[in-house]
Order: sequence, then C-alpha cells, then structure tokens
Amino acid sequence: RLQQIFNDDTEDVSLFDAEEETTNRPKKSKIRHPVASFFHLFFRVSAIIVYLLCELLSSSFIACMVTIILLLSCDFWAVKNVTGRLMVGLRWWNHIDEDGKSHWVFESRKASPQENKAVSEAESRIFWLGLIACPVLWVIFAFSALFSFRVKWLAVVIMGVVLQGANLYGYIRCKVGSRKNFTSMATSYLGKQFLRQNTGGDQTS
Amino acid sequence: MAEAEESPGDPGTASPRPLMRDLKAVGKKFMHVLYPRRSNTLLRDWDLWGPLILCVTLALMLQRGSADSEKDGGPQFAEVFVVVWFGAVTITVNSKLLGGNISFFQSLCVLGYCILPLTVAMLICRLVLLAEPGPINFMVRLFVVTVMFAWSVVASTAFLADSQPPNRKALAIYPVFLFYFVISWMILTFTP
Repeated sequence: RLQQIFNDDTEDVSLFDAEEETTNRPKKSKIRHPVASFFHLFFRVSAIIVYLLCELLSSSFIACMVTIILLLSCDFWAVKNVTGRLMVGLRWWNHIDEDGKSHWVFESRKASPQENKAVSEAESRIFWLGLIACPVLWVIFAFSALFSFRVKWLAVVIMGVVLQGANLYGYIRCKVGSRKNFTSMATSYLGKQFLRQNTGGDQTS
Repeated sequence: MAEAEESPGDPGTASPRPLMRDLKAVGKKFMHVLYPRRSNTLLRDWDLWGPLILCVTLALMLQRGSADSEKDGGPQFAEVFVVVWFGAVTITVNSKLLGGNISFFQSLCVLGYCILPLTVAMLICRLVLLAEPGPINFMVRLFVVTVMFAWSVVASTAFLADSQPPNRKALAIYPVFLFYFVISWMILTFTP
C-alpha cells in the first residue's frame, strides 16, 4: 500500500538525461544539498584513496584496514539513508511483517509541483556517478588482489564490493520500479537517442 | 539492507533517516542479548551494525605481537573476520535448508549480536593476561570463557529456536554451538 502512494503519478526521471522527460518541471541545475553531495562522494572516494595509498600513509596494515572498514560503513549508511533521499528522492529498505515474512521495499518520491522538491539535475548526476563508479572500482580491486595474490586485502575489498554493490542494486531497483517496466525504459531511451541523432534536433541543455 | 524497519510516518521520502534512532536500536539489541528473554526485537527490527562493531572489536583485540612488525597482525585480523562472517552465513544457510522460516539477514543479526558475551570475555582475558602467567591465570580465563560461551549459546537459541521446525531443533542448534566454540577457542588460546 505504501508503494502505491509513491508510484502513482510518479514523474519519469530518466537515468541519464534529466531534462528530456520533464517538460512540466522547472530545470534545476544548482546543487540544493551541498553537504549531502559532499558526503556522498567523500566517504567512497576516501575509502578508495586509503586503499590505494595504504603503503604510503601508514606502516600498519591494521590501521588502514580499520579505517577503510569505518569509511565503507559510514558511506553505506549515509548513501542508503540520507543522500539517496535528499538528492534523488529514492529509498529502499527491508520490512518484516507480523507473520515474520521479509519484504524488500523500493520507493521513489512523487514530486508534486507545489512542493517545489524537483530533483536537481546536477545532484542527480553526482549521485549516480558516485554510485556507479565506486563499486566498479572495488570489483577491479577484487580481481587485482586475487590475481596478484595480495590475499590479505581480499576481506576488505569484498566488503567494499558487497556494501557499495548493495546500494547500487537497491537504487537501481527503486529507479526501475518507478518506471514499472525495465524493457520499456531501455527501449524508450534507445528510441529517443536514435530519433535525436537522425532528426538532428538541438538539445536543450 | 543493514537495517529494517522504516516508519511510514516519515514526512515523504525526502527526509533522511535519523542517526540517533539507529544508534538507540543497536544499543537496545545489546541489552537484549545481555538479558535474553524470548522476544521479537532482534528478529523484527534487524540490523547488522552491532555484529560489525563486535567483529571489528574482537579482531582488534585478537592481535598478537605488535612488536613483531613484519607480521603486523594482518592475517589474524582477516582470519577473525572470515571465521565470524563465513561461519554465520554457513549456519544461516544450514538453518534455511532445514526448513527454518527466518530470513537470511535476521539470522545473521542474531548470530552476530550474540557474540557480545564472548567479546566481553576477550576483554576480561586481555586484562587477566596482564597479570603473571601461570595455572591460576589459565583457570580464571577458562572459567570466564566457558561462562560467556554458555551465555552466547543460550542467548542465540532463545532467539532462534522458535523459527526452527520442532523435530530439527538439535540439527539447527548444533552448528551454532560449534560456531561459538571456535570463537571461544580462539579467545582462550590467545597469547599476546
């Protein structure tokens, strides 16, 4: 029932080009939540930097490992509970009902014009860029640790992959859920790209 | 993923989740582990922050020989992590295969939180080890670890038992026993 409140009349928010779909919403290109945007990227990027520079920063493997674990945990909590909601209006969580059954809930916020809570394009870009780039990096690190036999780092790298991958998966499902059908989203996006290239229309950007 | 229980009364999905609420929930669960009763709190409102904190604390305390710089304690740290998480996942998979009706993360939550007594045992052991070594030292540590091990097992069975099918309870509880036994062994055989 919660899902219905949020998914009825959900505005289309496409993954890459925010301005195409939303003709009835004022274009926002400024960042409305600078602190959230900063922290969204800060924890993830710091964790990666500490991992890459651990040899230089500290001689203690333990200190680096604990620091990375702390950064990954803070990042997970911040992205799941704060930055997703403020920057793109999406949230996901797990709900256990009275029978003990567990449900995963993925929601997107309906933006009504009078609330003036439109999703800012710049924030949306920052959000998705950070969300997608970092897990990809951690997967690359996982393969590199595996193949260069630096196995002692595997535990922390796997943790990075799992935590950041979970947020990525959760938010993609929120986004996809708001469109109700993933294939229609993909085909409509590809269709628009095709049309745009062929008619040579100029973009509003 | 790491926590459940969102309140629908949140004013729209725009408002961020309050940190204090999560911290209080973790504290409440620690209390429930220390005074175990049959209750639903650990199950309904699961989170994995407590287990993560306990695992990191335990791994840090199980470091040996900080003077031994080339070993650097690295492998033991990762070892504790692997034992705890891999062990908990295995038990959960086992209990699901036996037909238990508990979700994956709920089971991880319970098993993780019930490591608390053993973490306290580790703390006490480290303090006891500051005194002179000898048989009395060992007996004290053995006693403490045994008591805490029993506490952990009792706490986790209090939460998990209801979700297991009645004729398979022993089969589901036995791996839990083994899991805490291995951790207790690591604590007891620790020498700085």
